[in-house]
Amino acid sequence: MPVLRSLAERFGAERPLEGVRVAACLHVTAETANLVRTLAAGGAEVALCAANPLSTQDDVVTALAAPGVSVHARRGEDADEAAGQVAATVAERPDVTLDDGADLIGFLHAAGRTDGLLGGTEETTTGLVRVRRLEAEGRLACPVIAVNEARTERLFNDHYGTGQSTLDGILRATNLLLAGKTLVVLGYGLTGRGIADRARGAGAQVVVCEVDPVRALEARMAGFGVMPALGAAAVGDVFVTVTGSRDVLRAEHFARMKDGAVLANAGHFDVEISLADLRAAAVGGAQEVLPLVEQFDLGDRRLNLLAAGRVVNLAAGQGHPPETMDMSFALQALAVEHLVRAAGELDARVHPVPADVDAEVARLKLRALGVSVDAMTDDQRAYRTSWG
Amino acid sequence: MSTTAPNVLTDADYKVADLGLAEFGRKEIRLAEHEMPGLMATRREFADSQPLKGARVSGSLHMTIQTAVLIETLTELGADVRWCSCNIFSTQDHAAAAIVVGPHGTPEEPQGVPVYAWKGETLEQYWWCTEQMLTWPGGDGPNMILDDGGDATLLVHKGKEFEGAGAVPDPASADNDEFRIILETLQRSLAADGQKWTRIADGIKGVTEETTTGVHRLYQLAETGDLLFPAINVNDSVTKSKFDNLYGCRHSLIDGINRAVDVMISGKTCVVLGYGDVGKGCAESLRGQGAKVVVTEVDPICALQASMEGYPVLRLEDVVETADIFITATGNKDIITAEDMSRMKHQAIVGNIGHFDNEIEVVALERWDGIEHINIKPQVDEYRFPDGHSIILLSEGRLLNLGNATGHPSFVMSNSFTNQTIAQIELWTKNEEYSKQVYVLPKHLDEKVAAFHLDALGVKLTQLSDEQAAYIGVPVAGPYKPDHYRY
Repeated sequence: MPVLRSLAERFGAERPLEGVRVAACLHVTAETANLVRTLAAGGAEVALCAANPLSTQDDVVTALAAPGVSVHARRGEDADEAAGQVAATVAERPDVTLDDGADLIGFLHAAGRTDGLLGGTEETTTGLVRVRRLEAEGRLACPVIAVNEARTERLFNDHYGTGQSTLDGILRATNLLLAGKTLVVLGYGLTGRGIADRARGAGAQVVVCEVDPVRALEARMAGFGVMPALGAAAVGDVFVTVTGSRDVLRAEHFARMKDGAVLANAGHFDVEISLADLRAAAVGGAQEVLPLVEQFDLGDRRLNLLAAGRVVNLAAGQGHPPETMDMSFALQALAVEHLVRAAGELDARVHPVPADVDAEVARLKLRALGVSVDAMTDDQRAYRTSWG
Repeated sequence: MSTTAPNVLTDADYKVADLGLAEFGRKEIRLAEHEMPGLMATRREFADSQPLKGARVSGSLHMTIQTAVLIETLTELGADVRWCSCNIFSTQDHAAAAIVVGPHGTPEEPQGVPVYAWKGETLEQYWWCTEQMLTWPGGDGPNMILDDGGDATLLVHKGKEFEGAGAVPDPASADNDEFRIILETLQRSLAADGQKWTRIADGIKGVTEETTTGVHRLYQLAETGDLLFPAINVNDSVTKSKFDNLYGCRHSLIDGINRAVDVMISGKTCVVLGYGDVGKGCAESLRGQGAKVVVTEVDPICALQASMEGYPVLRLEDVVETADIFITATGNKDIITAEDMSRMKHQAIVGNIGHFDNEIEVVALERWDGIEHINIKPQVDEYRFPDGHSIILLSEGRLLNLGNATGHPSFVMSNSFTNQTIAQIELWTKNEEYSKQVYVLPKHLDEKVAAFHLDALGVKLTQLSDEQAAYIGVPVAGPYKPDHYRY
C-alpha cells in the first residue's frame, strides 16, 4: 500500500493529528490495519470496531494491539455483541469518526452525543444515504466528508475493487465456471458495472437489472441484456445484488429461479436478498453444503445462498485487493486531516472530498505505479481559462 | 515486365471501369506494400531465382488494393498473370486500373496485367470476365489457377465435363440464375470450340484456393475422383483462416455496416449466424461496439464455444422479431429466408459476410408479393413489405465487408497472400510431388509466413534453448507444433 505508506511518512514527520481521538468502524482487515497505523503515525488515538461481523480477520485484531490503538472486534460476533463494540468504540468521545456504513455517526446522533465532534468521514454509498437522511431531516450535527464519492475512490474502489473481489468471493465459495453461465447483476452503479465487465470477460452472459433508466440505457449500450428482475430470475445461473436497496430478490423471484441458482450480495447490507422470503420458501429446509454456501430446498428446486446474503466479496473472498484500498484509505486519512485542519470552518452537512486531496491521492498512486504524466503548460492553462 | 520491350496492352486485353483511376490506385498500392511485409519479403527472397517463370496464372480473387500487391508479387517472381474478381461488387476500380497500367505504364500506354473487373458487374458480365481471365492470347489457357471461392476451377471443370458429354445442359433447367448464366456461357463456348476447356484443363498444373467455400468444393471434387489437377488449400493454413477470417472480419464487418448505414451499433441486438472463424470475428467486433450479440449454430462444438464466450446461442426464430442487425457467416444457403425478413423489426439490417450470396434469400425477397424495392445508395437497398415495415439489405446479400467497405486490411491479407504466393511456387516448382488431391501447406511454411509479419509489429520472439527444444521434442527452429494442433 505505497500511497498510505508515503502518507504515513509525512504524518510521522508533521504529526497533524496529535492528540486527536479517532473512532473508526471499518472492515477489520489487513488493509484497515495500515490505515489505523497511518493515523496513529500522525499522532491520533484510534479506536476500531468492525463494520461487519463476518469480515473481521482475527489475526489483524491481534496484530493491531499497540499503544494508542484499541480494537473492539471479533469474527462472527452476533448483533448484540456488535452493538456493544460500537458503543465501546465511541466511549472515549471521539473528535472524528471514520465510518463504513454510518454506524458510528448514526450511534452518536441517536445517543445525542455529537458535542465536540469535529466531523466524520464516510466510506460507502449506503452510509451516505443514512447521513443524507439525517441532513435532510435537519439533524446532522457535524460535517461529514463523502469519501465514497471522491473520484479516486469511486472509480477504483467500487468499479475495480468490488468488481474483482465480488467475483473472487463467488468463485471461492462455489468453484463455479463462469463461462457459459448467465450472470444477473442487479444494480448497474459503479460496482455493478465492474462486476458485469469482469463476468463478461470470464465468458458469462451478463444480464443487468436496473430501476434507473439512464443506467439501464448505459448497460444496454455496453451490450448487456437488460430486463426486469422477474424476467432475469428465470434465466440466471448466478445472481449478484449491488443496489443499496432492499428486498431486490424476494419470493416472486425465488419462485421463478432455476434449480441450483446461486445468490450473492455485494451491496453493503444483508437486506438486498430477502432472507425471510427465502426461508419461507424453503419447505425442505436449509443446510450448509459448503462453507458459506447455504442450500435452500424449495421442494422442486434448490437455491444456493452465499455468505448468508452478506457482502460476498468480504465474506467469501478477501475483500478488495490492497491496491484499491490503498487509495480509499489514503482518502480517509487525508479527509481526517482536512477535518482537523478545518476544525470549526465546515458546515454541518455532507461535503465532497476537496479536489486537491483527490488529485494528491492520484498523484501518489501514479508515482507508485511508475507512471509519469504531462502537466499543462502556462499557455495551455491560459487558453483553457480564457476566450483566447 | 521487361523494361527493354514494354508489352503495351490493347483495349481487348482488359476491361476495367476507368484507367484514369490508376494514379490513385498506385498511391494506395504504395501504402499497402508497406503494410504487407510478408509479400514484400517473398519478393526479396525470390527476386533472383524467379520461381514462377513460365507460369501462366489465372486469378479469380477480389480485385482490391491488397490483391494488387499479390498480383505484382506474382509478376515479380516471373509469372504471367490474368485476373478477374470473384465477386460482382468487390472490385476497387482504382486498384484494377493501377494493375492494368502497371508500375511502368501510363493510362495511354498500359503495360501491366490484363484485368477484367469492375465494381457492380452483372452476373452475365461476371462470367464473361471469368472466361476472359481464363482465355490467353493465341488460344492458350493458364497453367496455374489462383482461386477464391472456386469459380475459375468450377468453369474449367464444368467446361471439360460438358465437352466430354458433347453438350451443355439446357440453361432453362438451372435452379438458379447464376447457374443458368454459367450454362449459357459454356453453351456459347462449346459452339465456338468443342475442345477449349478440355485443352485448358489438361494444361493446368494446379490450383491454390483462398477460401472456406472454395476449399469445400475442392474436397467434394477430390472425393468423387473428379478433381482434374492438384490443389493447395490455402484457407486452412493457420496464418490464413485463423487471421484473415477472424481478425479480417472483425475489422471489416463493422466497417461495412458503418459505411452502409452508419447506425449506432452499441445497444443494438445483433445476430451472428454461424460461429466459425468468420462468425467469431464478427461476434467480437459487434460486442466490441457495445452490441448485445446472439449467435446461431448447427455445430454443437461451435455453439458451446459461443456460449462459453458469453453469447446467448439461440435459434433465428427466437430473435428474428426483436433483433436489429443480422449477419450471415455460415457458408451454407437459405439461412435467412424471405419469410424471416417479413417478420423482422422495421429497418432491421440484413447482411452477409459469407462467400456466396445464397445465405440470404434475396430472390424470394424480391419476388415477395407486394414488396417495394427502394435503392438508398449503391449496395444499400430498402425492401418495404406490404404491411409497411422495411428491412435494409446490404450488398444485395453479397459479402458486405467488400461490397460496402474495402474488405480486409492489408496487413491481414499479407498473411493470406503470402500463403497464396508460397502455394503457387510450391505447386509450380514441385508439381511432380503432388497428385490430384487437396493439400495444405506444411507447418514450417505456415510458421514462416507468421515470422515475416513479426518485425512490423515489434514482436520479439523468445528462442528455445537446445535443452528446452529436446524436452518438448521439437527442432530449435521449428516447426513448433504437430500438424493436428488447433491453435
